[in-house]
Amino acid sequence: MGIELKDIRFSYGKVQALDGIDIRLEGGAVGLLGPNGAGKSTLLKIMLGFLRPDQGEGRVLDYDIRTEQTLIRRRVGYMPENDCFIPGMDAVTFTAYFGELSGMPRQEAMKRAHDVLFYVGLGESRYRQLETYSAGMKQRLKLAQAIVHDPKLLFLDEPTNNLDPQGRKEILELILEISSKKDIQVLISSHILPDIEFICSYVVILNKGRVAAKGELANLREASFRLFELKVKGEPARFLERIRVLGCKVEETEDMILKVYMPPQLERKAIFQTAVEERIQVRQFLKSRTSLEDVFAKAVGVD
Amino acid sequence: MSAVIATSKLSKWYGNVLGLSDVTISIEPGITGLLGPNGAGKSTFFNLLTGQLKPSIGSLTIFGEPVRNNSRAFRRIGLCPEQDAFYEELSGWEFLTNLLRLQGYGPTEIAARAEKALGIVELLADKGRIVRSYSHGMRQRLKFAQAIAHDPQVLILDEPLNGLDPLGKRKLIRLIKDFGREGRTVLVSSHVLPEIEALTADIILLHHGKILAVGGIQNIRDLIDTHPHIIAVRSSAPRALAAHFVGEEYVLNVHFENSRDSVLFETTNRDRFFERLTRYAAEPAAAVEEVTSPDDNLQAVFDYLVGT
Amino acid sequence: MPIAERGYIHWDGELLERRRPWLPITRQGIRLAFKRKYFKFSFFVSLVPAFGFLVGIYAAEKIQDFKLKIEGVSTILQVNPGFFRAYFAGDFLLFMMLMLMVLSGAGLIADELRHNALQLYFARPLTKKDYFMGKAAILVFFLSLVTVVPGLVFIICKLIFSGSFRFLADYPWIGLSVIGFSALVTAFFSFYTLMISSVSKNRRYTAILLFAIYIFSDVLFGIFYASFRNPYFALLSIKANLQQVGAAFFNVKAPYAVSWIYSLAVLLTLCAVSAFILHKRVKGVEVIK
Repeated sequence: MGIELKDIRFSYGKVQALDGIDIRLEGGAVGLLGPNGAGKSTLLKIMLGFLRPDQGEGRVLDYDIRTEQTLIRRRVGYMPENDCFIPGMDAVTFTAYFGELSGMPRQEAMKRAHDVLFYVGLGESRYRQLETYSAGMKQRLKLAQAIVHDPKLLFLDEPTNNLDPQGRKEILELILEISSKKDIQVLISSHILPDIEFICSYVVILNKGRVAAKGELANLREASFRLFELKVKGEPARFLERIRVLGCKVEETEDMILKVYMPPQLERKAIFQTAVEERIQVRQFLKSRTSLEDVFAKAVGVD
Repeated sequence: MSAVIATSKLSKWYGNVLGLSDVTISIEPGITGLLGPNGAGKSTFFNLLTGQLKPSIGSLTIFGEPVRNNSRAFRRIGLCPEQDAFYEELSGWEFLTNLLRLQGYGPTEIAARAEKALGIVELLADKGRIVRSYSHGMRQRLKFAQAIAHDPQVLILDEPLNGLDPLGKRKLIRLIKDFGREGRTVLVSSHVLPEIEALTADIILLHHGKILAVGGIQNIRDLIDTHPHIIAVRSSAPRALAAHFVGEEYVLNVHFENSRDSVLFETTNRDRFFERLTRYAAEPAAAVEEVTSPDDNLQAVFDYLVGT
Repeated sequence: MPIAERGYIHWDGELLERRRPWLPITRQGIRLAFKRKYFKFSFFVSLVPAFGFLVGIYAAEKIQDFKLKIEGVSTILQVNPGFFRAYFAGDFLLFMMLMLMVLSGAGLIADELRHNALQLYFARPLTKKDYFMGKAAILVFFLSLVTVVPGLVFIICKLIFSGSFRFLADYPWIGLSVIGFSALVTAFFSFYTLMISSVSKNRRYTAILLFAIYIFSDVLFGIFYASFRNPYFALLSIKANLQQVGAAFFNVKAPYAVSWIYSLAVLLTLCAVSAFILHKRVKGVEVIK
């Protein structure tokens, strides 16, 4: 199961879009990141069975990407980035229609359409004409048609596009729920890193046709073992002085966060003790992790 | 600091459809975030700010002067709209210089300003290509260039980070922050709350055409007493930790998140809570590893105030 | 299991491998066509000639009974291949067919191009050929209902009303002619409509284009013919070409002094060009940008 690609290469004429991609993905939610033009859409076309790679081989959902492309598309759900619907239909008809086109028997498609529309939160409005739908509703509809045939691979392209803060939160929670079922591979392409951090456990970062970085998010965002972020209340001057004496390096950032590097032999407790003695309340004490943004920047090779 | 943008009972209706109702605020130099659900009145507010609409009731002034039909005021305002409205057949350079001509500059100054603006957004290499060939990210940057080219004191940005890749966003965020530091007034609107948080701590929250909250995110959060603060404490001895707080009357709720060895406390009095927590963590027997406030952010403020 | 599982549930069914994966497209297209405002009306209007001619067949048989010995009536109401040709290649029916195409077909591809729906289709196990087959089948359905179905019904009714197989004995090829000509007209109009529907994203524009090209081609013929009196100009007019071929199929004298083979060639070329344009237009749709 999952996705396995070996040494994939593809070029559009003279432009080398993909230059040797090796990936292994096994269930769960994966984020696909990269600057524009990095080769993401080409890679996706190959994974979803629309393009044949020039070189290299691979299997998606255990089907060969060169010879079994139609079979791949049977079990793939795609949620496009831009708006798409068919005028004159209501949500149930629309969803069932695409379920049928995926190969579901007619009655099953209808049954599943209702289920799926309730799941994405369109239950109350499923008989309304699509022309009357708001942007947020259209986004959910796109998700509905992508999951109606119960795909084993779900590809979501900028799923929170055009949504207001409430809508964003709700879609992200839906996607999180779907991807928590380990027997469906969810691939998300997005430029909004906080969304990726919320849902994905694994990311692949592409740049210039190659894999610039890949791995479990928890591993990529190295916790540097002795760097902590603190927020305090009270007069910090003497407190900072004293922990410096204890061997810490302290840096104050503009959001009033203290970046404290603790020497190996020092225990957290020592910080708290000093705080108590200097009448300081510790309001945040968190191990510092590189942000996904920094991981991205480092992978793509920019400052 | 005197207000740059000041409104008084500003209201706008389209026929019987509500746009804005009774908005009285003053916006000072620096960066202010504008957010709200769809239909809250943001576009109406922007259109009023740029003089494209006339208020139904109330007044709106920028630098003390009304904006409508005031060409002098336009000089000092830069707008980066959400939609793409380009003349696709022009090159980036032509587009920008034409707009600058409308501002009334002479040819040498136009060229200088265009160069500077395109340089800032890193589009100098593509200035000769026509807009139709630009990617979404490039269009976004061109929009920003045209908003800053005439060196405005007031910058209005509607979803400026839309469509940019993560590095593009980072660059633009730095750029906008620089503007704010220079003493200009920047009003940024976005649906992506983490992006607003990256830019500023001051927000205006609109809902159903009215102002729901104004001020610093922290401040607003503190004032929401319907939702006590949640504090997550990770410890290798969660039960002992919890026991130490269960007797305190300012602790409203204790929740064990066993998967992460965390205890979530709900409290209305952070002062007393943190006082006690710091002392506890200093005790020899205690084992406090991490302390965070998971709902001390803009998304929580939004949810609690707008909420479904 | 006392309480049902909540949240995302999987589907436990089996996906089918259909022999005709495009059938849902056709079904939906027919349904949507009937929802369109004036379509039902136009459809019934286009069946009026069929009823008229059916009554004619009946009357032709019973004319002796009613002793309608009006001069010339017996010749008009003679049910022969000319009768069929009059139905199939009549101006009115051709125009109504065009009308049906506009109402049910102008938006077939245009609407989906405009609303970006094509990417949803091709993310399914559908080929472009399947997509076109599905769309074409909608048009073929409606056109068949006004061509081959009435045609065969005429033959059967003629046999029933006349009470003998003499009609078939006289003109054994009449069935094939009906089917053949219907196929040609249907194929032509289907290609034509689909091609124009794919040319623009705007349904109104394609509707106008569908009418305009048809009518304009005829007007052009009229102008040139009036100036130069050369029958070869008939090849310019779609309507004329259809009528020429119709005459040939029913073994009746052609209206214009030009070989019907040329007309057929023109029509088939137009079909080929349409197929080419269709291919190009839909090929350009990228599923993932």
